[in-house]
Amino acid sequence: MRVRLLRAAILAVFLLAWEGVARAANPLLYVPPSAVLPALRRLLALDSYPDLLPSVLLTLREIAVAYALAIAAGLGCGFALGLNRVIGRAYAPIVGALYAVPAVVWYPSLMLFFGLDAASKIAFGFLLGFFPITLAVLAGIRQVNPHMLAVARAFGARPLTVFVKVMIPAMMFTLVGGLRTGLALSVIGVIVGEVLGSKAGMGALINHAYGLFRTADYVALVVVTLVLIVGSDAVAGLVERRAERWSD
Amino acid sequence: MSRDTLRVRLLQIVSVVALLAIWEGVARLGWVDPLFVPAPSAVVGAFGRIGRSALAGLGDTLLKTAVAYVLSVVLGVALGVAIGSVRALREVLSPFVIAVYGMPKILVLPWIVLILGFGTAPAIVYGTIHGLFPILVLVMGGVRDVDRTLVTVARAFGASTWQLYWKVLLPAIVPTVLAGMRLGIVFCLLGVLIVEMFAGVRGMGYVMGSLANGFQAPELFAATALVSAASIAIVLGLDALNDRLSHWRG
Amino acid sequence: MSDLIVVEHVGKRYQTSSGPIEALHDVSLAVGAGEFCTVIGPSGCGKSTLLGMLGGLVTADGGRVLVDGRPVSAPDPRRVATVFQEAGLFPWRTALENVEFGLELQGVPRERRRAVATELLGPLGLRDFAAKYPRELSGGMRQRVAIGRALAIDTQIILMDEPFGALDEQTRLLMGEWLLEIWRRTRKTVVFVTHSLHEALALSTRVVVMTARPGRIKRVLELPMPYPRAMESAEMVGLRATLWGEIRDESLRAMGER
Repeated sequence: MRVRLLRAAILAVFLLAWEGVARAANPLLYVPPSAVLPALRRLLALDSYPDLLPSVLLTLREIAVAYALAIAAGLGCGFALGLNRVIGRAYAPIVGALYAVPAVVWYPSLMLFFGLDAASKIAFGFLLGFFPITLAVLAGIRQVNPHMLAVARAFGARPLTVFVKVMIPAMMFTLVGGLRTGLALSVIGVIVGEVLGSKAGMGALINHAYGLFRTADYVALVVVTLVLIVGSDAVAGLVERRAERWSD
Repeated sequence: MSRDTLRVRLLQIVSVVALLAIWEGVARLGWVDPLFVPAPSAVVGAFGRIGRSALAGLGDTLLKTAVAYVLSVVLGVALGVAIGSVRALREVLSPFVIAVYGMPKILVLPWIVLILGFGTAPAIVYGTIHGLFPILVLVMGGVRDVDRTLVTVARAFGASTWQLYWKVLLPAIVPTVLAGMRLGIVFCLLGVLIVEMFAGVRGMGYVMGSLANGFQAPELFAATALVSAASIAIVLGLDALNDRLSHWRG
Repeated sequence: MSDLIVVEHVGKRYQTSSGPIEALHDVSLAVGAGEFCTVIGPSGCGKSTLLGMLGGLVTADGGRVLVDGRPVSAPDPRRVATVFQEAGLFPWRTALENVEFGLELQGVPRERRRAVATELLGPLGLRDFAAKYPRELSGGMRQRVAIGRALAIDTQIILMDEPFGALDEQTRLLMGEWLLEIWRRTRKTVVFVTHSLHEALALSTRVVVMTARPGRIKRVLELPMPYPRAMESAEMVGLRATLWGEIRDESLRAMGER
């Protein structure tokens, strides 16, 4: 209880300090909290940005497609590398090495190839989400107790059955964790892509507000985007908990 | 070299060569638009053309990254130790730290640029923020997970608070700090590149962005390859350093 | 001669998530200089808590704990050294550096503490392992390093909390013999917590039996026999039966509680 009060107090002090400093220094630039609420109201009333809804939907659609692709490719690659020892040993280090490269270096090439439309954002979101999923599949396979598989085979189970009924449940936890990280990263990929250059979507709106120095609107847009992000992660969390219940 | 390792190496080499060959062939046959997908030979040629400016850009980026990196590591470790070692601070502040850590920092980038302008300052600040949080969270966890027995032993032998930090806590979290440093470099570099693409006047991010805008595909591929190679080299270097320093862990 | 360690009417209560637990109730004890005093009792009887009080790591609720006439409020490495069940060696330090630890904390200059630690390695049987790290040492070796660390600061009193608890039986027996040798040579005062009846009878000059929780002193047995003890002698066998008789009920009580 006391901890919660302290946290609330810290938050309050922070907001008050921000309000004071912003007002004193440059309220237009530093956007005191008191300016954020009216800006939010204007935004949600579709006043400041009438095409807010289509932008949100576009961003969500980009995320959905990017994530779906990331799951498909991530699972496919992950299992292909994880289940075959030679292929795995050959290509897993390459995947690891590519992961060591900051993903944003691929973005200019994607923009060149796909242009400023949704496609480049989807591609970038896909790239970002792909790696954690692949790596999670690899890690999940690696931590499955080989005894369990041996026992299943000793009971005469066919390879497909062993895979579905033994291996998948055993790696569920790691896998779902990777899927959740993959979603978070796909989301970031799409948003980074939009902010760095796009014609539509939340990132484009943010860029627009920034370019016109409409700082209050900009903060409101950021708040809405954050809500979207937290929301998607919360949904992912729910799915994760549901999946955990299955694997038991 | 064992039979398996030999097979693995062969597979890797053959795939890379085959991929390059197919790529070159496809490009030469005109099946892809050279404007978007240049032939490998064109990319190699481009290396020569952009060589000097690309290296200058890379140097600039790496310099900013280095500054941001030092700042993130110092701040990340200091704050991580401070927050992680005092139970009251840790309990109260953890949710805030996790929340800010989980937030995509790109959302505050336009604001930072509005305040600091274009160029080096926002790159260093943003790069630092990017690298700081993973390190901070990692170190906080590392401090929390230090074996309690070691602390009890030190106290039993009369260690002062200063001695506890210096002789027990800090050596105990060295593996965690190294892991954080390994993670941080990629994040710092990432942050700097993003700023250079968004609001840069110099550096690899800016160079690549300009090349993309100018539809100079071979040069862009060459530049991308260069940055990727540099990044991989740095991470490999840090890994080697990590291995050297962890000999007592076995 | 007044006793070196005096415990008067101490108690200890802990707050847990399932309510308060009384670990110790009205415990009084006196240990003279040069004694080897074993504290034995069932799990949860508070023996580690009692040892913690002697070492200044745990504060008593009520009563007094005096070491060398002075009340204990914090760890006093000039008078008391402690050895724990998990050796608690610092994994980033070599065996030698671990032994030096207490001296280092006290600001002893490097050459001197190196010399003291190196000299200790002989009787510890670790002369060839000075530069090894804990992960390269066996469990028995690690405990010897921990004991060496305690010996290095040359305190009058050494507290040991089930130091051989994690070792296999053969190693335990050897370590017991070795510890006895060290004790007789250094003439320190040892307070030794254990579960093992054998250790209590083979090593101590006095055995303190504690009850199940809340821990009280049930019985104190004086063992004035000379060393090394003939454990198969009629006298020792009889003592063993007596000791087990005292402890058995308490052990059952402790188990029933669970």
